[in-house]
This record gives sequence, structure tokens and C-alpha cells, in this order.
Amino acid sequence: MMGLVLSTSFVIAIGAATMRYTTVIKEISVLFNGQVMVVSKGTIVIQAVPIGGSMLPQAFTEEKIRGMAGVERTVPILFVTPIGIGGMIQPVPVNFSMGIPVEYWHLILGPTPLRGNGGYFPSNESSNEVAVGASLADEHGWTVGTRITVNDNEFKIVGVLDTRLALLNRCVIMPLMLAQEVYNYPGSVNIIAVKPVQGYSQKNLVEAIKQEISYVTALTEGERNDMIQPVLSQVETWNLGLHTAIFLMSLILVMTVTVMSVSERRRDFATLEAIGAPLGYVFRIVILESSLIGVLGGGLGLVFGSLGALVLASLYTNIPIAQFFPSIFEVVPPLYMVGIFLAVVSVCCLGGIIPAINATRMRIAEVLRAEY
Amino acid sequence: MKIKADELTKTFRVGPSEITAVDKVSFEISKPAFTAIIGRSGSGKSTLLNLVGLNDCPTSGKILCDDADVSLLSGSERRKIRLWRMGFVFQTFNLLPTLNALENVELPMALAGKHGKEQMEKATSLLENVGLGKRLFHRPKQLSMGEMQRVAIARAMANDPEVIVADEPTGELDSETAKEIIALLFDISRKGKTVIVATHDEKLVEVADVIYTIEDGKLRFGG
Repeated sequence: MMGLVLSTSFVIAIGAATMRYTTVIKEISVLFNGQVMVVSKGTIVIQAVPIGGSMLPQAFTEEKIRGMAGVERTVPILFVTPIGIGGMIQPVPVNFSMGIPVEYWHLILGPTPLRGNGGYFPSNESSNEVAVGASLADEHGWTVGTRITVNDNEFKIVGVLDTRLALLNRCVIMPLMLAQEVYNYPGSVNIIAVKPVQGYSQKNLVEAIKQEISYVTALTEGERNDMIQPVLSQVETWNLGLHTAIFLMSLILVMTVTVMSVSERRRDFATLEAIGAPLGYVFRIVILESSLIGVLGGGLGLVFGSLGALVLASLYTNIPIAQFFPSIFEVVPPLYMVGIFLAVVSVCCLGGIIPAINATRMRIAEVLRAEY
Repeated sequence: MKIKADELTKTFRVGPSEITAVDKVSFEISKPAFTAIIGRSGSGKSTLLNLVGLNDCPTSGKILCDDADVSLLSGSERRKIRLWRMGFVFQTFNLLPTLNALENVELPMALAGKHGKEQMEKATSLLENVGLGKRLFHRPKQLSMGEMQRVAIARAMANDPEVIVADEPTGELDSETAKEIIALLFDISRKGKTVIVATHDEKLVEVADVIYTIEDGKLRFGG
């Protein structure tokens, strides 16, 4: 049963961590829902390459796009991911900074409320005000009014975002000009979100932008999804492969344990059959026992796996593990728990089938004679 | 239940050779009695008992229960006969170790689909009859060998069978306890049951109404 507990824990911990990773990737796409995304040619967003290099100000590119047919609105954004140890881009981004013109915040972030005791979104003119995601705030014990230092600049937190989106939860959000100054991107952005006018095709708009501006890549929502999809598919395929391998191992484990258990109790099963127990009764006993292993192993695995997922989340975000406990169902969704638990119990049931058939096929007289 | 064996033969293959454990055995038990089958170890008495108790199929020959050939019945039909019409007592008691005395006796009744209350009342009464009224909730490992065999006898009687098949019921017991078990089986036979015992215990032979001797698989009437 220990093996089953370990394998279930492993599945839960790795599965939950992977799920959060894919969620963040998906959320990047969700944030720009219904909009065309313009980035520097040949780059991806997290590389944070300024559009047009450092020579062309964002206003130049933005004005060109705004002047095109079918464009309702453009929103310039500076999206920055911190660089990890040794200057390497972290394989899994931990936190982000986002600079957006304040008047467009709600168009990009959606109607994101601020947490509890008030606060407000900083104004465009502000030179030292930021809003932060709840997860970041919880990690560092920040509240409205706390002063923080980002890239050697001191800021005052004026709002804590109360959101379920993992991406926004880990974001420091500030007015665009302030972000450009803090991160040393004067007049530059790395994303321009372009909203087409009602009924205007995103595809046509993308084609027009590509033709008009040679140094950008423009992507429709569908194209972005297509770009993300291979990454997601790869991660999900690995995850599925891992789950399958572990479930197969569990199946073999349970089958071996049950075969041993049945062979140790051959006399009991033979006695049951000798006193007239129907084959179905004997079959049910073995299946019930292997299912019980599944229920106990799965249950304990669920507990340890959830703890493992919290430890991974803590290592990955540097947030103390205690702060994850209240939101454990955010890290390991209840449906995922139920699914894995049912899968473990089903695997155990399956693992019990062959031993159960063996138990019903015993030659009573031979077993009873041999056991004397 | 009338039991008749007709030219009953059972052979086993051990490597290249074939061993005939029961060799063309014929006998008839037509009325309730205490029948003892005696023989040395390896003479074939347990094999014969397994055939009579429908736990095994003959290589050739017939077993008739009330003139019906039961050797041709399916496994499930033979199981029903074992459940409803026969009770088994084994040399090593074969109680289920995870169940207490009461549950062990209730088991055949549960298998026969009897209700919980009926099971408990009958099992309690059977255990009281064999002198274990105060040991109802003891597990087998908490009982002495004699007590375990009493529980096994109570279990054999659970569905009120017509035949009790006992394979060396005193084989594991000291002489005093063996006497008590013999007395119990004798009482059962006097209550209108057919008791068939395979044994080499002389005390059992002394109380038997009918004695058969088996030697090298061949059965003959008398001690």
C-alpha cells in the first residue's frame, strides 16, 4: 500500500504543478481575448524584446497601427519577466511586471476588484504607485500602503488585486511610463494589443499590419492559440505519459500484492468454496479487498500528494508553504483530486481481477489436501 | 439423503506416473447413520471423502445423491448441494481467521441468503449446543483446538444439512478433546443426520454404526 500511496502522491504533486504551469500559459492568451497582439518580429512575449528595437518609440508604431482601417483601439503594454540566476530566463516564470496606460487597465485585465480594505488603481501621473497581485502580496506580507523596492526604485502599494488568475496574482502593475522608466525601456513597449472594430476580421487586420510594418509579428487570437498549443500539448502529453506510467506501475503493484494475498489464503478461499460460497462471492471479496487498498492508498496519496503540490508551489514561488494552506483547492483543484482518487480505485479494482479469477478457479480438494 | 457410489475412481498424474487414489469404489448409505471410513495415511480416504462431499470430480464412476447422478452436475449445482445439504468438518478446522466464532457459524447461512437476525439466533444456539455460548465473539486464534473444532461442527450444522462430512475431525486433538468431539458427532448422527467420517482414530471407529476400510484406494466393508 505504501507503493500506492507514493505513486498517488507523485501523480497529484506533479499533476497539480503542471496544471498550474499550463494555466499560466493559457491565461496569457485569455488576457488579450478578442484582440490582435503585436510583438517584435521573431520573438515571443516573455523575451521582452521592444517593438522596433530601442531606436523606435512605441508611439511611432502605435500611431501607424491606429491609422489603419479596422482598428478601434490600441493599447501599448510593457510586459517584463524577471531574469533568473546567471541571466537565464526562468523556464517557469515566477512573477511579472506589467506597465499599461491606466485608462486601459480594465480593458486588458478585465473588471479586477481590489482586495478588502479599499485601495485604488494608480493614476497615469503617479511616479511611485503600483498595484500588486494577491499572491505576491501574501508572499511578502504586503498590504495597501506598504512601501516596496523594484529595480532600486521605491513604490507605494495602492491596491492589491483580488483575482483568481495565476498570472495577475504574481504581477506588479504600474502605469506604462513608470514601468518604462523603472525597467529602462524608455518609450518602448513589447506588446501592442489591437482591438479591431466590431465585425472586422482579425485575420485581415493582421495581414494589413504585417504588410505595413515590417519589424513586427501580428497574431490573431487563433494564431496565438496555435502557437501556445504545441507547448501545452507537449506538457500535457508528458503529464499524461507520466500518469499512465504511474497508473500502470500501480496496477502491477496491486496485482502482485493481491496475487500474494490470495495465494497466502488459498485454504480460506478453498474452505469458502467447500462450504458452498458462490464464485461471485469469492470474486467480490478479492475485488473488494483490492478496492480497499485503492481507497486507503488513494486517500493517503491524496493527502501526501496535495502536501507535495504545496511544497512544489512554495519552492516555485518562494511563498512560505503555510500561506498556501487556505487556498489548497486552488493549487490542487477538487475535481482533479476526485478524478485521481477514482482512477486509483479503478486501477486497484482492475488489479484485483486476475487474482480474483485465480481465487475462483482453485481446485478445492487439491488445496485442502495440500494445506494439511 | 441417500448416497451411493458406483465404481468410483480417482486418479492423479504425478510426473510421468499415474496414481489411483480411489479405485472402483462402490458403497451405499441409504439411511442416517454414523459411517466411518478407516485407513492408513495415504490410503485414499480423504480423496474419497472429497468425492462424496462433491469437492472433487471422479475420473470415472458415479456418485448418486437420492438416485440423481451428481457427478454430472455443473460446479454451481454441486456448490448448491454443498451449501444446502452438506456440512463439512476439516482436520485443521479451517475457520476463517478474520471472523469470530459467531461470524464463522453465520457464514454458511449468509451464503444461503438467510436474514441477519435469523443467522445470529441460529448461530448462537448452535454454539451454545457445542458448549461455546461464552466464546461467541472470540476469534479462532483465541480458541483452543478443541473449541475451534466445535465451532467448525457448529458451522457444518448451520444450514441444517442432511449429511456431515468430516475428514479426520480428531486428527489434531488430544484424546480427551477427541472424545468430546466424537460425542458431538455421535449426537448429531442420532438426530437423524448422516455423518461420514474419514479417520484412523479407533475411538471413532468404536461408535460408528457402519465401518468401511480403505486400503490402496480399494474399499471394503467392515473394520
